[in-house]
Amino acid sequence: MLAYTLKRLIAGVITVWFIATATFIAMHQVPGDPLMNDKAVSAEIRANLEAKYGLDKPVTEQYFIFLGNMLTGDFGISFTQQNRKVNDIIRDHFPVSATLGLLAIFFAATGGVLWGALTAVYRNRLPDIIIMFLVILGISVPSFVFAALGQLFLVNLNSLAGQSIIPVAGWGTFSHMLMPSMVLGLGTMALLTRLMRSSMLEIVNEDYIKTARAKGLSPTRIFFRHQLRNAILPVITVLGPQIAAITTGGFVVELVFAIPGLGRYFVQAVQQLDYTVIMGTTVFYGAFLVLMVIIVDILYGFIDPRVRLS
Amino acid sequence: MDTILSVKDLEVEFSTYGGTVKAVRGVSFDVTRGETLAIVGESGCGKSVTVQSLMGLIPMPPGRITNGTATLNGKSILNLPAAEANKFRGVEIGMIFQDPMSSLNPTMTIGDQIAETLKVHRGKSDREAFSMAVELLERTHIPEASKRAKQYPFEFSGGMLQRAMIAQSLACNPAILIADEPTTALDVTIQAQILELMLELQRTENMSIILITHDLAVVARMADRVAVMYAGQVIESGTVDDIFYRSSHPYTLGLKEAMPSNTHDRDKSLTPILGSPPDLFKPPTGCGYCARCPYAMSVCAEHLPPATRISESHEAKCWLHHATAPRIKELHQLDDQDAG
Ligand SMILES: Nc1ncnc2c1ncn2[C@@H]1O[C@H](COP(=O)(O)OP(=O)(O)OP(=O)(O)O)[C@@H](O)[C@H]1O
Ligand code: SF4
Ligand SMILES: [Mg+2]
Repeated sequence: MLAYTLKRLIAGVITVWFIATATFIAMHQVPGDPLMNDKAVSAEIRANLEAKYGLDKPVTEQYFIFLGNMLTGDFGISFTQQNRKVNDIIRDHFPVSATLGLLAIFFAATGGVLWGALTAVYRNRLPDIIIMFLVILGISVPSFVFAALGQLFLVNLNSLAGQSIIPVAGWGTFSHMLMPSMVLGLGTMALLTRLMRSSMLEIVNEDYIKTARAKGLSPTRIFFRHQLRNAILPVITVLGPQIAAITTGGFVVELVFAIPGLGRYFVQAVQQLDYTVIMGTTVFYGAFLVLMVIIVDILYGFIDPRVRLS
Repeated sequence: MDTILSVKDLEVEFSTYGGTVKAVRGVSFDVTRGETLAIVGESGCGKSVTVQSLMGLIPMPPGRITNGTATLNGKSILNLPAAEANKFRGVEIGMIFQDPMSSLNPTMTIGDQIAETLKVHRGKSDREAFSMAVELLERTHIPEASKRAKQYPFEFSGGMLQRAMIAQSLACNPAILIADEPTTALDVTIQAQILELMLELQRTENMSIILITHDLAVVARMADRVAVMYAGQVIESGTVDDIFYRSSHPYTLGLKEAMPSNTHDRDKSLTPILGSPPDLFKPPTGCGYCARCPYAMSVCAEHLPPATRISESHEAKCWLHHATAPRIKELHQLDDQDAG
């Protein structure tokens, strides 16, 4: 297990380095630069600014300076927001995005396993048909539609109650987080439900389930001890990539629900070609995602002895 | 005799998109204490479906038991709800399967899986059940049993897994062990060891074995009595000597000729049975073996041959045993003995 974890970590570091390099290259391939937006920049000021940000140096040198800064955890200063450090932006807004994302994953995973198991038990009967219909909706409808619908629901709920039970937008308390994280997790939940269902149905036909029945175990015991645990394995393998999907979806949901997460800064930075913010947030996000995927892998190892022990 | 299990006129069918498969068409047999009954027959003849329907393992739907009775120590065991069936499954009848590699839960230790049976049926505590599991592994000659009990199926070889399966099925000292082709998936040397183990345990535990196989060499080595199945029916049954030395059904003769043996004349080639078994979607009205039988007569295609009692222990379903049927050389040995 230790070797397994170590391998994952090394692969993770390489991945982050790759993300950093790719971001850097992409950044320098995009036409224009952050100083273009300020219309009245004279050649002199421009030269000064370039010197300040190190943009006058050769690209390779810039690259190594960038890598060095990343290693020390210094993401530089924003081009567009006066004297605001990228580190500060991340520190202030990342926890919000991370909370939203992790809650969404939590909803998606528990919901997916639950609904998936339920549909498998009620295979081809009414609960299965209804849930699987909703699953197709969940997979095909984009999250901003659900975000709008979710808000509409809250507005109606609050006006019906005559007071604000659950806030429609904003951030701060747990009730603020409820609707946006559910909306954000919905697509993934639908996907996991489908996966869990087919995984459960496959496992019903496994020889070891037949053995369990021949042993005289009760159907409930077989369900919980033998089916569920094995059926969850394929669900966990897609959890890693799904975290990435949820993160990108998070930008939209943050916007709709006016959540002060990192997403807004990221989008803004891309529009304004704010080099340091783009690179800083991308690399930081990338590292965070890689870490989450590693955690999922380790979790998988705990459930599947074949991975843990080999 | 001390009959433990008695199966009568068992019929099982499956509804599929292509129609209804009549997989088992009136199977009867008895199992007495301490004996080994071998069920032989080629692939698809209904051996597994027969025993699985006794154990309540047939998926329903598409499966359906349409006729017959099965009694275990006088109690009916067919078509029971799970809660009722679990009073004898794993307790009075243990079962092992063809592929040990996939027959154990991959995410549970071997010891826990064996212990589970004891916890459920005998109300043992976790620790007690686990130490009994280790003893069971020792009984099936798994070296370093206490260490092995903590391992997972993927850490075991096929032969060791089959031993573990046997250990698991013995947990509650069942009266009957059903083994559905227990050695088919294993190497030849391992096969011999597993069969040896089963014989040994049968002696020490005084249990009956229902052994499914299509290997006549295994039958010769293990069985006391044999039921030969063809197209969902038992077409001949008797003691192992009845079947090998007084074969009374052309299909049994065909099986013997297709089997290599130690005493076999090297110059004489093996004769395979040509053709294939009948379509069980439309089971034949007459004898199922008709299309392949070298002795087929016109009556065979139209009427199902009745069971003819050849001796106290021996029965066959073939028109050749009818009083007016012609005498066939291969079946003469039998008549000679009857005469003498
Ligand atoms: N779940 C099922 N659905 C439909 N048909 C089935 C099902 N299970 C078995 N059958 C049919 O029942 C017949 C008997 O199958 P069975 O498994 O008993 O054969 P077998 O004698 O055990 O053969 P083998 O030696 O290959 O194990 C086959 O024709 C098979 O197609
Ligand atoms: S009944 Fe007829 S076809 Fe069937 S085995 Fe006997 S001789 Fe052959
Ligand atoms: Mg079979």
